[in-house]
Amino acid sequence: MQALLQVILAGLVTGSLYGLLALGITLVYRTTGVLNFAYGAIGAVCACFMYILLSQARLNFWLALLITLLCAPLLGVVLERGFARPVLNAPIFTKAIATLALALVLQALAQQLWPQLNSALHFPTPFEGHAARVGGVYISLVDVIILVITLLIMVGLNLFLTRSRLGIAMRATADGLSAARMVGIPVGLIFLFVWALSAFIAALAGILLASLQSLIDIQFMDSILLFAFVGAVLGGLDSLPGALIGGILIGFIDNLLAFLLANHALGTLNIGDPGIREALIFSGFVLILFLRPQGLFGKTLARRV
Amino acid sequence: MTTRKAGEPPAAKASPSAAATPVASGRLRGQLASVQGRRLRNGLLALCALLVLALLPTIYDQIFGFSADFELHRVTFIGILIIAALAQNILTGYAAQPSLGNAAFFGVSAYILAWLNTDLNQPYWLGILVAMLVSALLGFVVGAPALRLSGVYLAIVTLGLVLVAGALLNVWDTAAGRQSYELNNLPVALTDDHVLYFMVFAIVVVIIFLSYHLLRSRVGRAWVAIRDNEVAAEAFGVPVARYKLLAFVVSATLTGLAGALYATWATTASSSMSSADQTIAFLAMIVVGGLGSISGSVLGAIFVGLLPLLLGQLPDPFSIGPFQLQISSLITLIYGLLLLLALIFFPTGLRSLGDYAKTAVQSLAQRGDKR
Amino acid sequence: MTASILTPLLEIRGLTVRFGGLQAVANLDLSVTEGQIFALVGPNGAGKTTVLNCISGFVRPVGGTITFAGVSLLPLSTDRRVALGIARTFQQLQLFSTMTVLENLLVAQHAQLKAGLLQGMLPFGQARLEDKRARIKAQATLAQLGLEDYAGRVVATLPFGIQKLVGVARALVLRPRLLLLDEPAAGVPHSEVEKLAENLRRWRDEIGTTLLLIEHNMHLIQAVADHVCVLNYGSKLAEGPARMVLTNQAVLEAYLGRDTQIGEE
Repeated sequence: MQALLQVILAGLVTGSLYGLLALGITLVYRTTGVLNFAYGAIGAVCACFMYILLSQARLNFWLALLITLLCAPLLGVVLERGFARPVLNAPIFTKAIATLALALVLQALAQQLWPQLNSALHFPTPFEGHAARVGGVYISLVDVIILVITLLIMVGLNLFLTRSRLGIAMRATADGLSAARMVGIPVGLIFLFVWALSAFIAALAGILLASLQSLIDIQFMDSILLFAFVGAVLGGLDSLPGALIGGILIGFIDNLLAFLLANHALGTLNIGDPGIREALIFSGFVLILFLRPQGLFGKTLARRV
Repeated sequence: MTTRKAGEPPAAKASPSAAATPVASGRLRGQLASVQGRRLRNGLLALCALLVLALLPTIYDQIFGFSADFELHRVTFIGILIIAALAQNILTGYAAQPSLGNAAFFGVSAYILAWLNTDLNQPYWLGILVAMLVSALLGFVVGAPALRLSGVYLAIVTLGLVLVAGALLNVWDTAAGRQSYELNNLPVALTDDHVLYFMVFAIVVVIIFLSYHLLRSRVGRAWVAIRDNEVAAEAFGVPVARYKLLAFVVSATLTGLAGALYATWATTASSSMSSADQTIAFLAMIVVGGLGSISGSVLGAIFVGLLPLLLGQLPDPFSIGPFQLQISSLITLIYGLLLLLALIFFPTGLRSLGDYAKTAVQSLAQRGDKR
Repeated sequence: MTASILTPLLEIRGLTVRFGGLQAVANLDLSVTEGQIFALVGPNGAGKTTVLNCISGFVRPVGGTITFAGVSLLPLSTDRRVALGIARTFQQLQLFSTMTVLENLLVAQHAQLKAGLLQGMLPFGQARLEDKRARIKAQATLAQLGLEDYAGRVVATLPFGIQKLVGVARALVLRPRLLLLDEPAAGVPHSEVEKLAENLRRWRDEIGTTLLLIEHNMHLIQAVADHVCVLNYGSKLAEGPARMVLTNQAVLEAYLGRDTQIGEE
């Protein structure tokens, strides 16, 4: 029972991270139609930037955090202007390749600037070592922080999208670009804002992940990007709460499988290997996609002849 | 009401049923003549290319001696890339399926060859054949459900497939206690650069020959029709789903061949053969070279094969003023940047510059006619 | 092929089509006789294109039957219906834009050719022979429509009027038994309508194809249609010879909401 609760907690925590990433992906996709395969790289670059501030500039954690969270939206803006805008009208496939190329460029850039991050290094946070035992379940400070932040973002985003003018304008743009233009919504600004916001979320997710793992390197977000996309697609790619739920669901399943398969082996094959889990989750995902091509929460599309 | 308006076809000279045949056959003859002329030119070009390819190794040795970097080995690599580029082009450039999954076939096929040749001690040619068959089968298995997915979802699922395949291959390596799969049971002849070169390029020539004709045949036309207008293609009898599946299978088989040859060339198969990086390489080839053309695939393969080589000539680390640049990641950086630039400014590939020129000339000529 | 009033080439019975909550076509009965030029008219949104799409196979009706030359069309997929001899044009042209005019006509013959993957790879044999014959057929059709000069031109570079003709050529190269024309007069200047009517009759006579056209242009319909069926809100409003239908009061009101004299301009 205890073990199960632990798994549920772990699922919620990593699921929240997947959910945040899925959220950012869906946000950009819905509003600008760009499927951002470079999302993990954006988060990783921001987190690595913070690491450099901590280790080389020797800044206070909170100061470094503040600076990074301010620079992340800036990165988003730069990417929107320099990358997203030119490829906006390209066919889907070209956009997909472009984001893959962008991921490559971002990672290579990071490798140039910070070659020490090619190997995993320790990510120092003031949250380390703080943990508690609640009803037999081991919960660390980072776990709590992740859950709280995810909740805040969920609530905050919801309020923003339903109550604020900018948020409503964003939703309008996502629903229909030309219609939004016609009612006078500054679509260009909306795009800028969306990229800035999603970069912010990516940076946040990256920093949280680094804090959770206590380790960081340039490619540390590569492994969860697939799950983030799976979560986003399950959420239907057009529903923000759906993306979050999709991500959390994947987090659950991932941890549950890890728990069930750990230390089992078929000959020399360790079934607990994360690769096997990835394959299982992916297969399940593909299956669901065929039964419900619109994801779990998405709307069906009709074909027009 | 006899003045001809712009854009109208020339008015029929007499009553349609009588005059149609003589007018048509005269034009037919003219067109046939140019078609034959074109065929002759193409044939000569092909012959020259074959000659160059056959003599390349000897020329190479004269110029580069046994220089470590510009080995013949490198040229052979470009040949393998050409096959992979062609495969990607058939799927993405002709049949227009936004599939990012070819790297999966690339890696899996290499591992199958390694397994059959090294561990099961089977003859090399059998290994290649089985690898290609497995790839074809995988292409079918992936392609059939892929038909039901549209653009975005297809891209995500196929990319996921590559990542998962890579992860599974890695699991196999871990279970077998190795970093990558060594092919140390290859036929001795293939360890010779020259022999490998001729084998690979013989295969490349055959494949280009077959592809050239296939893409001009009913099958190739059907693929382009599907790309241009799926609805119309269906309305005129093209069984769209079946042809998309065919594209998947053909592309997968060719990629599998490339993967097996790559493993032979590198004498190793590694799980990084099925990765996002490899996918980018495949896509870069056709994007930079040109979607939907054989020559585009060749150009793209040369670009991707040569660029790391040329950049690798720079000293490592490379100093520009006070900055020290790491060459290995610099190559990837420049590579990615060039790809991005190509995508932004030339969405249809560099080869399309030739097409733009052609259509521009045609439009100019048409405007000239009107006056 | 001789026109016979006794054997309907195309028989539609009780056709019903719904898109979500919207009923696009309601219990429609239609009969097209071989050799006829049959016009389907009606205000925008009346369901005309939907009927055409049902015949082509792009839309599945929820009820009713469509029989062509005695064969039931509904269980057949779109690409299989071509083989029976049904070809169509599209209002939005839907040409293969990166291909040449000739290639467009070659693709149209896809169902009539047989060469597959293995034969296609070879520079000789069945595939080449078939293609040669297909090329000749295509060029003959182009000549018939006066398009031979455009054979090697890429479709996307051609002016709209030519593109429209290419669309027709693409359908005619099949020598179809039934040709579905979606607004053939759209974009055609007033002075050319008479010529279009002439062409339609000529194709019907020379190739022996039956025409079923959707059209808004009353002049064309008057000039060329043997039989007219008027749709309104998915149901048949009137049917009969052109002159009779087009002066029918109910039809005029459905279109124009006021008194109009047609054919006296």
